[in-house]
Amino acid sequence: MQRALKLLLLVLAVVLLPACAEPTPPSVIVWHHYRGKEQEALEKVARAFEAETGATVALLALPYDGYGAKLEAAIPRGNGPDVFLSPHERLGTYLANKLVTPAGGAFPDEDLARYEAASVDAITDGGTRWAVPLATKCVALYLATKYVQTPPETLEELLTAGRAAGKGVVPLAYEAHSAYFHAPFLHAYGGKLFDGKGFAMVGPEAERAAARVAELSRAHDIPEEPSGDLVKQMFTSGGAAAAISGPWLAADLPPEVRYTVVPLPRIDGAGRMRPYLTVDGAFLTPQGASKERARALVRYLGSDASAKVRAAEGKQVVANRAVWGEIDDPVLSAFHEAGTLAVPMPASVAMRATWVPAEQALRKILRGDATPAAALAEAKARYDDVMRPPPPPPSPVPVVLLMGVLLLAGAIFAVRRVREPSFRRELAASVPAYKYVAHAVVTVFVLVVLPLLAGTATSFFAGTRDEPRYVGLTHYIEILTARGQPLLSHGSFYLTLLVTVGWTLVNVVAHVGIGLVLGTILSRPLMRMRAVYRVLLVVPWAVPSYVTALAWKGMFHRQFGAVNAILAAVGVEPVSWFSQFSTAFTANVATNVWLGFPFMMVVVLGALTSIPKDVLEAAEVDGATRFQAFRLVTLPLLKPTLLPAVVLGSVWTFNMFNVVFLVSGGEPDGTTDILVSEAYRWAFARNAQYGYAAAYAVIIFGLLALASRVTSGVGKERGGAK
Amino acid sequence: MEEGVEPVAGNRPRQSSTASEDTPLPVPAPRSVRCEARGVKKAFGDNPILRGVDLDIPEGSFAVLVGPSGCGKSTLLRLVAGLETADEGTIHLAGRDVTELPPRDRDVAMVFQSYALYPHLTVRDNLAFGLKLRGTAESEISTRIKEASAMLGLDKLLDRLPKQLSGGQRQRVAMGRAIVRRPTIFLFDEPLSNLDAALRAEVRVEIRRLHDRLDATTLYVTHDQVEAMTLADTLWVLNGGRVEQKGAPLDVYERPASRFVATFLGSPQMNLLEGKLEREDGRFFAAGGGIRAIVDEDRFGDALEEGRAVSIGVRPHDLVLAKGEAPVVAELKVELIEALGFEAYAHGWLKSSGPTLIARLEADDARSVKAGVTVPLTAAPTSVHLFDPESGRSLAAS
Repeated sequence: MQRALKLLLLVLAVVLLPACAEPTPPSVIVWHHYRGKEQEALEKVARAFEAETGATVALLALPYDGYGAKLEAAIPRGNGPDVFLSPHERLGTYLANKLVTPAGGAFPDEDLARYEAASVDAITDGGTRWAVPLATKCVALYLATKYVQTPPETLEELLTAGRAAGKGVVPLAYEAHSAYFHAPFLHAYGGKLFDGKGFAMVGPEAERAAARVAELSRAHDIPEEPSGDLVKQMFTSGGAAAAISGPWLAADLPPEVRYTVVPLPRIDGAGRMRPYLTVDGAFLTPQGASKERARALVRYLGSDASAKVRAAEGKQVVANRAVWGEIDDPVLSAFHEAGTLAVPMPASVAMRATWVPAEQALRKILRGDATPAAALAEAKARYDDVMRPPPPPPSPVPVVLLMGVLLLAGAIFAVRRVREPSFRRELAASVPAYKYVAHAVVTVFVLVVLPLLAGTATSFFAGTRDEPRYVGLTHYIEILTARGQPLLSHGSFYLTLLVTVGWTLVNVVAHVGIGLVLGTILSRPLMRMRAVYRVLLVVPWAVPSYVTALAWKGMFHRQFGAVNAILAAVGVEPVSWFSQFSTAFTANVATNVWLGFPFMMVVVLGALTSIPKDVLEAAEVDGATRFQAFRLVTLPLLKPTLLPAVVLGSVWTFNMFNVVFLVSGGEPDGTTDILVSEAYRWAFARNAQYGYAAAYAVIIFGLLALASRVTSGVGKERGGAK
Repeated sequence: MEEGVEPVAGNRPRQSSTASEDTPLPVPAPRSVRCEARGVKKAFGDNPILRGVDLDIPEGSFAVLVGPSGCGKSTLLRLVAGLETADEGTIHLAGRDVTELPPRDRDVAMVFQSYALYPHLTVRDNLAFGLKLRGTAESEISTRIKEASAMLGLDKLLDRLPKQLSGGQRQRVAMGRAIVRRPTIFLFDEPLSNLDAALRAEVRVEIRRLHDRLDATTLYVTHDQVEAMTLADTLWVLNGGRVEQKGAPLDVYERPASRFVATFLGSPQMNLLEGKLEREDGRFFAAGGGIRAIVDEDRFGDALEEGRAVSIGVRPHDLVLAKGEAPVVAELKVELIEALGFEAYAHGWLKSSGPTLIARLEADDARSVKAGVTVPLTAAPTSVHLFDPESGRSLAAS
């Protein structure tokens, strides 16, 4: 009776639960990356659309980081949205991955007059309109009212006004090393970042623009090593007379900060500073294009009614002309005006690979490490190297032959093994054991072996995911021949390997050293509050490494970091930590040592408890000082425990991506990059060369496997000899 | 017998014989020194371990510290070694105050209960460790290792690791490590307690031989009374952080200064009965609990007083079947017989409700006496010990 009741309840639950969870599917699914007021305004527009049409709209807000990757993963498999909002500069990628369809009915010709021409240009590619333009974003000039009252006509006027603001105030704060913020200078001198085919930030115009910025830096008219956060902080606190930033800064400024926004000024002897314009568009996915309501929603999002809400409540610089007569928000109007002067950002895939070399060149120029001409030429060479077309597919014959030989050898080995008389007996005896390890074998195979095989396979291919091209061992050959450059040239595999090995050695030595000292001190039974210290010392390990890394990066800031503040307190000149290899490397090491010593300390603490106390006392009676007892007795006895920990620590450090990527970020000029961060750059910062990055990963794996074999071999040998 | 340095016959194989056959030349005797402790106190936290101990071991003497667990004997040894520091009092070696010195400046060698060999070093390196630390020349080191290993039969083990040795071998390496150092004083901390009984007896003899050969001052801690009795020149019985009695082992055994010492030394334990002194025909008797024995008046002298309450102690060894003329001191109702072959012990009661008692039987008598019978017992007056029931001190005139 009871069982029947339970069964009934179960059946009811199975039938009813899905029904409860999903009443009716929404008519249109929209993905976006808006936050705060922009998100609220978007939701309001969507509700209005629902009220008007009876459709249901599901809005899903995704984090901006990884937004593109999610779209790329979901849309081809049919789990993506019908509509997504995105800046237009990714259009090239979307087209390459077939994530979008022409706007078609959502953007009929009759709507053309509705939008600013620049916005329409931005979402048009090959004569086809691919999205409905919603809002524009570009940078403009923020002026702190207390320092600058009248909008300057030229950059020089601005600087004059800013310098008059007094000591401790920077005339102009902006992210000078970023190519995006450098673009207005470049455009003012008639230069270009991208010419439709490749890297174009070369030639006299680009050099003059870079030289002008270097001059500003030397004259301390702009801050050193400014990040977005720093610009915001300086402008908020009155440390900057002006700032170049986008609408996002206005959203972050507290109400007591008095400021005005104006379009960027001209530069004396050059033209107007014209920033890059990005246009947020509403894109239809192939799935959404077939839905009438999705098309209707996209058109509705671009309508003047929607634009009014988005402008008034979402503070968006909307692309609709008609709305601007009715808006009396000076900031918004200023951005709108700036937008009309801006240059639409090229949307090509090839454009995206320009940012990194351009930024590296700018950093070099700002540091004074290279002349603009040399740095820009080098950037161009790097871009061309990265964008080099994949090599012609080699003949697969050698690989097929190799595979054949390997298979044959495997088969011969297997046959010989099976024919051994003991084999059947052993097999029969061990069959029951396989049942017990089967789950582990399957798990390890799925989680370890398969990804390894997939990674190795990837390394034999070049090109995009949709159009992979077999290239054989070309990637390996390129890596191991340093891409035809001298073996220890900048960014070569061997130089990076050298840095990585040095990095690993220094770190592991420091980890073990500090771990040993602290472990030994903490193991002394007479110490008071031992437990408290132990917990405190393990904290660096417990905090997520990226949090620590970011904190240390902040502490190493040239102007505002704690490290320089301490140095200044003892009378040392502030150090520009990330402008030289030695100091940047030191900063990385300091961070990683902080992260890594607790592990060794815990290992040492554990190992010390296994050393009998009377053996140490025997050494004492034998005449050893405390240090001698440590060196001659404790240390050798710790070795068997420490060795595996050292191997493990070495592997971790060898692959310590977080610290290198977040603290120095490879600065200066990629010299502090280690093998993994270099592999990362090939995959994600250099035109998505996954195959090349995979080859790097396979080489790293091989090196580590070899190194740990050698290390454990050495350990065994020593253990056996004694 | 104050200092107790007089050798006791039977325990002292004076002639040098060694563990190995090819005996090398005798090892030059180390400079043996006098070891003194004065008023030493030591507490761990609120727990007093030593409550004021005076120790005096003359040059070349073999002193054994014996006592139950927790009496402070190991702590005292560690204080002499320098592994602990005294809260109060001083320690002198060769007349030099070493109270505050670390172990390495005391020139002592210690054999630990666990042997405490360096697990990562071969036997040879274990032996050489202390010498190397002191910067002894290589040739000297190898000479000393050769001597010590020959003496202890370690020649074939020199290249092994401690984990490849048996318990007895490890023990010998630990002793070798002490010997090669030629220290001024040897300290042994219960060195035999991890060995099996047969090995223990063997090594015990070996230790005494070594001492006689090296003639080095030795301080030896044990809770085993057999070791204590057989090894010591002077026995120091510790109890509750104080020296209860010291003296030559047989002296201490025969004339225990207190009830504690009387019961601690000797196996089976001394029989103890509560009673009082009676006087009859001009002689003193100790009577109570079913026993009535003549008392040795020379020994107890003035302490004898009619009617005085006393604790009466007789060792089972001294309580035997009364035959012939011998005065009967008690009647034992036998409960069981423990036959050891060369003699036997009869357990039983003197009175139906009284305490149990143990008496010795000759091997022959053990066959005739059966459980359930009552037998007459006798004891020589000199074997009757009297203690104050309150303080536990012996009534003997000291």
